Amino acid sequence: MSFRSRLRRSVPGYVFLTPWFIGFFLLSIFPILASLYLSFTEYDTVRPPEWIGLENYQYMLEFDYRFWQALKVTFTFVFLSVPAKLTFALIVAMMLDKGIRAVGLYRALFYLPSILGGSIAVAILWRQLFNADGVVNSALKLIGIQGPYWLSDPSYSLYTLVVLAVWQFGSPMLIFLAGLRAIPQDLYEAAEIDAATPMRKFFAITVPMLAPVIFFNLVLQMIDAFKSFSGAFIISGGTGAPLDSLLFYTVYLFTEAFSYFRMGYASALGWVLLVIIAVFTAIAFWSSKYWVHYENERG
Amino acid sequence: MGLSAFARDRNIRHFWWGNPERDKRTLEVIRLFNEKNPGIVVSGETLGMSDYFTRLTTQIAGRNMADTIQMGYGVMFEYIDRGAILPLDDYIGGVLDISKMDESAISAGRVDGKLYALSIGANSHVAMYNTRLFEEAGIEFDPFGWTYDELQSIAAKVKETTGVFGSDDSTADYQVFSDYVHQRDERLFDEEGNFGVPPQVIVDYFNMFAGMRAAGSVPDGRASAGLIGTEISNWGIVTGKTAITYAFSNQLVGVQNLTQDKLGAAMFPNTPAMIPGSIIQPSQFICLSRDTVDAEAAVSYMSAFVNDPELTAVLGLERGIPANSEVRAALQPTLNEIEATSVAFFDGIQGKTMDLLPPPPSGAQEIEAMFKRVAVAVLLDQASIEDVANQIVREAEGIRRRSR
Repeated sequence: MSFRSRLRRSVPGYVFLTPWFIGFFLLSIFPILASLYLSFTEYDTVRPPEWIGLENYQYMLEFDYRFWQALKVTFTFVFLSVPAKLTFALIVAMMLDKGIRAVGLYRALFYLPSILGGSIAVAILWRQLFNADGVVNSALKLIGIQGPYWLSDPSYSLYTLVVLAVWQFGSPMLIFLAGLRAIPQDLYEAAEIDAATPMRKFFAITVPMLAPVIFFNLVLQMIDAFKSFSGAFIISGGTGAPLDSLLFYTVYLFTEAFSYFRMGYASALGWVLLVIIAVFTAIAFWSSKYWVHYENERG
Repeated sequence: MGLSAFARDRNIRHFWWGNPERDKRTLEVIRLFNEKNPGIVVSGETLGMSDYFTRLTTQIAGRNMADTIQMGYGVMFEYIDRGAILPLDDYIGGVLDISKMDESAISAGRVDGKLYALSIGANSHVAMYNTRLFEEAGIEFDPFGWTYDELQSIAAKVKETTGVFGSDDSTADYQVFSDYVHQRDERLFDEEGNFGVPPQVIVDYFNMFAGMRAAGSVPDGRASAGLIGTEISNWGIVTGKTAITYAFSNQLVGVQNLTQDKLGAAMFPNTPAMIPGSIIQPSQFICLSRDTVDAEAAVSYMSAFVNDPELTAVLGLERGIPANSEVRAALQPTLNEIEATSVAFFDGIQGKTMDLLPPPPSGAQEIEAMFKRVAVAVLLDQASIEDVANQIVREAEGIRRRSR
């Protein structure tokens, strides 16, 4: 086929794509590039942006102790909540995979929190639950434990958010369930003939066969955790209190932008977060060649 | 399709920060105004105070602010500076009638000689106390002239006799702190806008409440840390956990609505030198925004908001004491008990307050947030009081440098 007629044949395709392209450029590409530009400016939304070069980034790295605190809080949250969430999701998926009755009901019940969990209403509810004299502490009192001041003690406050995140294990669980169902049963039967213990079966069959699914869940949940905002924002009252123990990176970015009119600095913060997430995702992808094997690969 | 034969309604948006009581009243006022003014349709938008300014900032950037917006004295200057608010001088004598307004309220709304804001209520700091608990403990004191020493003994006595904590812990309360600074004859900011509070004053302030924590007359530091910036329903005086909460006089009505026990109103405690610490400030203003679609309709709404007897009767004292003398006189016979208490309080503080301060420099809001954050370290016993005081001064200076 000649080049020109091939071109003519693709024209309808491009025409159909145009609406999406317009949206993509206006609503995604343009704001992303604009924020990159703004990160090199000082911009308070009323006066026009003033170019200041790398000053935002310099301030961030040299003087801004709250930036480092935000990183610390966010990293702690990600590296606590993601493994916990995935472990829980896998365990529950394995339990559901045993073929118990009413598996559909359990699946729905476990999935429910992950739909509701990111909402403001649940965050407000969570705040009430972990109040010094709220439901959680009342329950602990029943078994004789004096619960801490969850929301005013910096050593405990982050755990409330980790629990909130792990509570939403339903969506990775569903994906694990589907992955478990795809493992051929004859592998397990062969292992049983060889008198394999359940642990051996798990590590020699389940985990390797599930590796692509684990990888998928890991990357998605990690990116999500880095971007976590509404829980921390509501539970800390918008400030990252107490003592910045809940100052998630996104919360810090938000307050810099919308409480203090520092749009340029907030844009710089946003780009740093993007780089951080990209680096960790790249690490995950690089590591995957060592432990994730897809079925259609050879060797 | 032909054009409509009827004149188009002029649509005005009014944006304010509120609480359920204020919202109820303001929406009723809007409804009444719309009834009395066919051709103008006002619609109301409201948010809680902590979210209001965030939304406003977004709207400023998006150039779609409401026509009339609510403002506070402290923050108003930044918005005028940024050109977000329009002057009203051209409308005075026309659709805008300010002939019955207190001169002090009018001048509070003037910046650089132009009138930018109409006062919709004046207020002052008030220490709300539980009169039932005070009676039970047999407390007698002068609400307009008591001292911090008296506060310590009153709080201890209330705890002893009734078992309820005598007072809120104001360690991280910026309003109580500001009054204390003035009572020590200092200023938060000097003429150049530098942070002007000596660390020793901060140390003395924190030590007062540290003493009360040690004596057990105020709640545990961790409990107090959890209450910072919380909504009214969690306040000590509302939940019954403490006998005194520190707030603004226009919140008396809203708080009484949530509390069974009768509230009393007192000024904040004084230092022995009895230097006045509070101000009577025009607490809230209504302003014309840069993005108004119909300035004349908006201003006529604003004028009615502060002058019309029917509308102001509904608004009552919820936003503070009205600045219009005729409105105050008209409201007098309709006041319920708590409203009468707040008006009596307002009368009682006349002459015991300091002069209105000049507008705070930019960065003041951030310094307040920083104070509330850093002072928690004192409540949680995570750092020494001297270290925290020095940190506050250091950070305030840093914030001022960044805000210039």
